[in-house]
Amino acid sequence: MSALPAFFADYQARVTDELHRIVPDRGSAVERAMAYTALAPSKQVRAVLVILCAELCRGNVAQAVPAAAAIELVHAASLILDDLPSMDDAPLRRGRAANHLANGEATAILAAFGLLNLAYGQIARAYEPAMAARMSSRLAEAVGPEGLIGGQALDLEATDHQIGFEMLERIHRGKTGALFVAAATCGALTAGAAAEPIGALVAYAKNLGLAFQIVDDLLDVAGTTADTGKAVRADARKTTFVSFSGVDGARQLAAELCETADRALAPFGRKADRLRELSAFVAARRL
Amino acid sequence: MSSSDPRVDELRQRLRSLGYLDAGVDRFLLGSAREARGPVALAGRASLRVGVLGGLLLGPAAAIGVGARLPGLISGVRDALVMSIYLALLFFVAVALSSVALSGISVVLLRGGIFRLKPQATGDTDTARSRPIERLSRAAGFVLTLAALAYLTLWWRNANAGFGWSAPAWTSFALLVAVAISLLLGHAQRVTTLAVLAAAAGRGAALPAITNRSWRGILAGGALAFAGAAMLLVVTTAAESSRAAAPNLAVMSRGLTVKVIAIDGIDSTLVDVRDWAPPLTPGVRFAVGYDNTSDPARTWTTIATGTPPEVHGIHAIEARRVAGLRGVLNPDTSATGRVLQRASDLIRLSRPSIASRNERKVMTFWEVAEAAGLRSAVINWWATWPAAGQRGIVVSDRAVLRLEHGGTLDAEISPSRVYDDLLQRWPGISRTAESVAQRRFGTMDDRATAAVLMRSATLDGIVMAIDQALAEPQRDLDVVYLPGLDIAQHALLAEQSASPSTLTARLEALRTYHAFLRDLVRPSLTPVEHRITMVITAPGRVGSNMAGHVMMIAPSGTQGISDVSDRTALAIDIAPTILNLLGVPISRELQGTVLRAVFAPDPDRFVATYGRPAAEEAPREGKPLDQETIDRLRSLGYIK
Repeated sequence: MSALPAFFADYQARVTDELHRIVPDRGSAVERAMAYTALAPSKQVRAVLVILCAELCRGNVAQAVPAAAAIELVHAASLILDDLPSMDDAPLRRGRAANHLANGEATAILAAFGLLNLAYGQIARAYEPAMAARMSSRLAEAVGPEGLIGGQALDLEATDHQIGFEMLERIHRGKTGALFVAAATCGALTAGAAAEPIGALVAYAKNLGLAFQIVDDLLDVAGTTADTGKAVRADARKTTFVSFSGVDGARQLAAELCETADRALAPFGRKADRLRELSAFVAARRL
Repeated sequence: MSSSDPRVDELRQRLRSLGYLDAGVDRFLLGSAREARGPVALAGRASLRVGVLGGLLLGPAAAIGVGARLPGLISGVRDALVMSIYLALLFFVAVALSSVALSGISVVLLRGGIFRLKPQATGDTDTARSRPIERLSRAAGFVLTLAALAYLTLWWRNANAGFGWSAPAWTSFALLVAVAISLLLGHAQRVTTLAVLAAAAGRGAALPAITNRSWRGILAGGALAFAGAAMLLVVTTAAESSRAAAPNLAVMSRGLTVKVIAIDGIDSTLVDVRDWAPPLTPGVRFAVGYDNTSDPARTWTTIATGTPPEVHGIHAIEARRVAGLRGVLNPDTSATGRVLQRASDLIRLSRPSIASRNERKVMTFWEVAEAAGLRSAVINWWATWPAAGQRGIVVSDRAVLRLEHGGTLDAEISPSRVYDDLLQRWPGISRTAESVAQRRFGTMDDRATAAVLMRSATLDGIVMAIDQALAEPQRDLDVVYLPGLDIAQHALLAEQSASPSTLTARLEALRTYHAFLRDLVRPSLTPVEHRITMVITAPGRVGSNMAGHVMMIAPSGTQGISDVSDRTALAIDIAPTILNLLGVPISRELQGTVLRAVFAPDPDRFVATYGRPAAEEAPREGKPLDQETIDRLRSLGYIK
């Protein structure tokens, strides 16, 4: 497994501190369930993406951290819901029992909704109304029927069925790409970026998101639970990129998507090197 | 896994159709076209950006060419930048239209079957299916590259002709810049055509990859081209400016002072000014051949600088000032040129302007004398406004207007204390000149002719009165220009429809004006110890093909001046002759020669150049008299 870029540690610490500050842990079952997933050790790739995009657009880390935490909360909520028995019925997440197994299914569902609402509240409290409205709107798109929810719904339909490539892309775009794009956009918005750099970052995030998902598919085929922190070969009942192109073909496409993401950063020059490191990490996230 | 694995190729193509593997490379070109729905909108939007590139890169390059082709238009870096902006707009339009046309032709060729997309079939690779698009886009880029290269080569020929760069290093550098600009524009056109063809071929069409390397190449090429064009622009203007470096002009005085009296409009068929010299006075008398004296600003600047108009830059009294430029556009006498001038006047891009010192690129003999440390004064010579803020006295061709209007100076006279002095004396000067003119011509029967002659006599009287007012302290060089005769001659004889009897009467009236002039300048023609008086005449606008004269009057026994007559000279010989009399080294840039029979120039007393006229001006705080000057010159018949 490729190592995280060195700069991740500082950003992860800032985001983790923020999550500890905002995620309630007052002893109730649902609060414990919320903290169980939201505060579990993770790479926080999406949250770091928020901060990197903000920095690239001449924003500062402190201003981006609340948005980064919000994105991380949404992601945590989506993981809880994905793992439910009625969904993917996954036993492991982030190296330990899935939330519904640890806290009970009903509590897990409530914890997911709790995290979602915490995310929107975080945005509303941390930013000026106009900026908060724009970010909430982007986040709602990423979560809604065109995003996570739509992707997950299609994924359920597709389970145990052979699906076409466009359907697979639609699922991945919703389940993974949408939140990557929202992360990049929210990061740029916290820095007050103009449409042109946001467009470049969206192109970056879109390609990176799909590459990330393809690599996930590859890890499911060829990785181990220790590497991924979740059960492997869980996608055997699903159509994946590997189904269409084989392992080597999927690797090649993931690499090309990461190269494309890097090319989208051309207008930023060397300032975008950390984002390039991130895409290099995603491309190398393999056995 | 090879890159031509059909499964991967197919997935790659599908990903592209879904908006992946598109980094928005060449984002500048295609950024605005991102939301375009069809090939036409895409071509339009992307071509605008290609036009911007073309304008940015070709504008500065063209400004250099224009500067070389139209002397006087670009007078400095600021003018060069403004001209670059104008030309950038022009090239923006031209390149954008070319780009749209090339993209459009490519789409027609693709749809017309000449370059047909290969139908999708199992086993086809992306490369194979996208080959027609690739070829067409390359061809479009190649056409634009060739066009830009051809234009820039011609531009270099112009620029090279203008600035005389023949060094292989410069030529190589310029060609490198030209190639870089051309390749950059060609690449931009290729990318645009590629995008347009992909849009025209439909979502499923294969789009050839644009590599990361090409994006870096376009950035590097653009930076090189821009830096090169900017460097050429700055270097050319700097090269011009560097000529202004003051040379070391050591004077070897002959102990003489020089007074120059320039009279415009002398008709050698009516009078021979050589007879104006006091009897038995030794001197040098030359007939001067002029090419064409129909424009006094051009003629008298040629005399003052010792260089032809192509060198000194004053081609006519009336020029065109282009909005935003300090330099002027000299008149184009062709029919097309006149139409363009009227059109540009109409849209206020240009406006009439009077030839001024700003456009003159060569030093006059009095400026050279000043630079050599001699004291000088010049009165009423053409293209002397705005007066230079140097040691000598300049009473410019706008001075009489300023004295009439009063108020604060706008560089009409330098130094300002001279203006203060003249302003105090002005009522007396003008009143005396008017009364002398009235006495001399007021009793003529033909009132119209009398009015013309009185107006001229008043003007000449004022100029000579100013000359007398500035007589002290004595200077090394005094120069005065009298325009009255030319004005009168033009007013009385330029009319083609006058009857023979009227013409005869007017010629007789002009004969009396010649006599008036002789009396006016006679006090200055009296030989004075250590002073040479030089009378220069030109036939003026009416008799523009006749000869003029140069007459030098010196006291008997003046060393170096022998009694010579019936020789011929050129207008460009006068300035070096005056400077030689003053003991100033002669510039090798002057095209004339010191008149023989005067002092022969010391072979060692030459300098390479006098440099460019000084840029400094006298203070300009008063209300400009631009419009008043135009109105006055129009009333005197100089401009229409």
